[in-house]
Amino acid sequence: MRRRLGLALGLLLLPAAAPVWAQAPSSAAPLDPAARFREGNELFRTGDYPKAIEAYRAVAATGAESASLYWNWAQAALARNNTGEALWALLRAREIEPGDRAVSREIERLRESANLDPAEIAPVPLAGVNRASRRFHLDIVALALLVASVVLHGLTRRARHLARLSAAADVTLGLGLLLAAAPLAGGFAQPTAVVVTAGAPLQDAASPTAGTIGTLREGEVVVVLAESDGYLRIEDSSGARGWTAAAWKLERPAGVVSHE
Amino acid sequence: MRDVQRWRASLISTMGVALASWAGIASAELTLRSEVEAQRVGVQDQVQLTVTMSGDGMPDNVPMPALTNLRVVSGPFTSSQLSVVNGVASHSRSFIYALQPQAVGPAEIGEIRIKVGPTAYVAPPIVIEVVPGSIRPRGNAAPDPMDPFGGEDPFEMFRRRPGRGPEPKLFLEAVVNRDRAFVGEPVLLTYYLYTTISVTDFRFVESPTYAGFWSEALPPPARSRGGDVVNVKGETFRRFALIQKLLFPTKAGRVIVPGSTFKVGVETGGGFFGPQQQVVERTTTALTVNADPIPDERGFSGAVGRFTAQAHLDKTNVALGEAVTLRFEVAGNGNLKWIDRPPEVKVTGAKVYPPQMSSDLRATPSGISGTKTWEFVVVPDTGGALTVPALTFSYFEPELRQIEHAETAPITFQVKGGAAAGAPSAGRASGSRAGGPLALRSDLDLPLRTGSHLSPRALAGLVGLLLAVHGALWATPWLLDRRPDVAGRPTGRGRSRRALADLERAGQDGMSKEASVALIEKTLHDVFGSLEDDASAPPTDRERAAREVLQEVYFIRYAPQLGDYSEQIRSVARRAAEVVRKWA
Repeated sequence: MRRRLGLALGLLLLPAAAPVWAQAPSSAAPLDPAARFREGNELFRTGDYPKAIEAYRAVAATGAESASLYWNWAQAALARNNTGEALWALLRAREIEPGDRAVSREIERLRESANLDPAEIAPVPLAGVNRASRRFHLDIVALALLVASVVLHGLTRRARHLARLSAAADVTLGLGLLLAAAPLAGGFAQPTAVVVTAGAPLQDAASPTAGTIGTLREGEVVVVLAESDGYLRIEDSSGARGWTAAAWKLERPAGVVSHE
Repeated sequence: MRDVQRWRASLISTMGVALASWAGIASAELTLRSEVEAQRVGVQDQVQLTVTMSGDGMPDNVPMPALTNLRVVSGPFTSSQLSVVNGVASHSRSFIYALQPQAVGPAEIGEIRIKVGPTAYVAPPIVIEVVPGSIRPRGNAAPDPMDPFGGEDPFEMFRRRPGRGPEPKLFLEAVVNRDRAFVGEPVLLTYYLYTTISVTDFRFVESPTYAGFWSEALPPPARSRGGDVVNVKGETFRRFALIQKLLFPTKAGRVIVPGSTFKVGVETGGGFFGPQQQVVERTTTALTVNADPIPDERGFSGAVGRFTAQAHLDKTNVALGEAVTLRFEVAGNGNLKWIDRPPEVKVTGAKVYPPQMSSDLRATPSGISGTKTWEFVVVPDTGGALTVPALTFSYFEPELRQIEHAETAPITFQVKGGAAAGAPSAGRASGSRAGGPLALRSDLDLPLRTGSHLSPRALAGLVGLLLAVHGALWATPWLLDRRPDVAGRPTGRGRSRRALADLERAGQDGMSKEASVALIEKTLHDVFGSLEDDASAPPTDRERAAREVLQEVYFIRYAPQLGDYSEQIRSVARRAAEVVRKWA
């Protein structure tokens, strides 16, 4: 009976864990991302920054995203004096590799050069929690603790002489729940986007003919409220809300990258 | 003969008068004077300045005097008079200005100086005191020289007018050339006057506002001298087109063209002193235009009409770092005036700067036609052949009821200067603003699969599942204990636990002897059943043990109350608990 129960639990856990594997990049990419990445680097060295960015964009479109890819993209954008795009690429790199200190330093340097307040590139505090939980793999640790607590709990039920393990089961359960709270809370973070164009207009509708109600600051990270046909409804640091086509989202699924 | 003499005499006398008149005019000395109707006015009042010249050798114009704390509201309006008094003719010309004080305090009209030949003529300056508010009686306000009613209330004029006649037969009508249009499609609005009498003047009482439309004024419509003869309800009128406007709906739905009120000056039938002037008001009825929405799509410019687009570069061979100008021109007829968004231009290998816009547009009854041009500065970042891609101007064609695309051909230009690597391109040079690029990373360094993270939803699902497992581990024994037996009593460990708890309470907390033994007895019956003798079967060990304890319970229950039985009760309870632990 107990063996059957364990088997049933295992079968239940299997589909829930499927998203972990589903996040792996597709292996059916038509081109070799590493080769294309090196090609982009060569283009960069010859000074052909636009084509280098095209190459990096093609790599990102295959889903082979990495902090190095976006680091180089940011350098090419910087060479073209596109601070907003460079900041977007670096923030995207930080999303992928939250522990990359060079990326964090470069973000800080660009923020200062763009005269942006720290809050203007971090408008959603929960996004920071999310990043920290990814950096320290809090989700995996929490799950391990919870599984351990289940095992300990099962042992205390199975053998009376192991009843003293009940306290250990409770402690691991509490710790697991505590650690799981961080990534779960981070999941409620609103999506954000980076303004990649200098003097980009904030419009009153998602239409090319809509009126302009303000101007956005290049490099500013804005909260995304809605999305429609290439336009993002955003809220900037001053609380102004409107539509823009000049902001690129930070949180997007692998393989989907905005095109200019 | 007498007639001839009389004719000669009259001719001579006429010539004499004419000569005298001519002599009077010729000998008149030039005079110049300036005057205002009041030298103390309110800041909200207007003051009329009249500069009058009379005499011989008058110039055609007089210089505008310097104004202090005053500004010209209207004018100059000129009037000329020729009068003959006692055989002396005089000719004068007046220049009339309407002036508006600008602030409370002193104001001044500077001196006016004109020079005719060697002689200078001067009108002295005039000082005016400007006080707060308005101090002039309403009826005495300076009349606007262009106001046909002389600043008076036309109704008051009507009331004063003796022998008021019948109401003049005239009316106004507003007509639109279509009552259904797409958003952005021009609608021609024409105001017509229908009249049976002479009209001397007309104007809006209040400039109309067309909410829900962009409006564009058109030149006065050409009209025939006598107007068009039309028959309205059996009566013949002459119809004149007065004003035309182009209206462009800005939103979909029913949009109202409000009624407009005009003041019309008319000449009514001649009285004793000839024809009389009268002012009447007429209002047009409101009109409704149904505006249909236009589709939207990415890149749609918002233009409605029919357009063509073309693009060209000012040069097709440039050195690296040198700019070229891309000119994108849209021509056609529609609502081009309100289209400000240029097409998106991206040239791979070059930086494109925001464009400058210019336009050459004119309003016609069919819409606004002309051209609008955007000029982009393109600075190559790299050498070789660069291509300006095809540029598309999307517009809505009302007749086809769909969005059309006017597309230009791609344009290729050559950028000389060898490999762009060594050349300090504009991008690299300006890129140093943010500190310049750092070293590249050579490896892609894809994150390991183990580095993947759970989505919050997956994590929540797994946490929930593990909590459910915990719950199941806790709840299963408890649920098993709660399962009732065939007699409806709880079975198993739960029942034993409750029995032991009851036995623990027996004899405690001052419980009486009767209550204690009753509790023990009830507990034993709950656990072991009735425990009555059954002659058909020998008792089991379990029943025997329970009965022995039950006998002791009966003994204590029926024993005389000779002392304290609490110790015995506790002892029996302990024995009962042992039996329950062992046999239950």
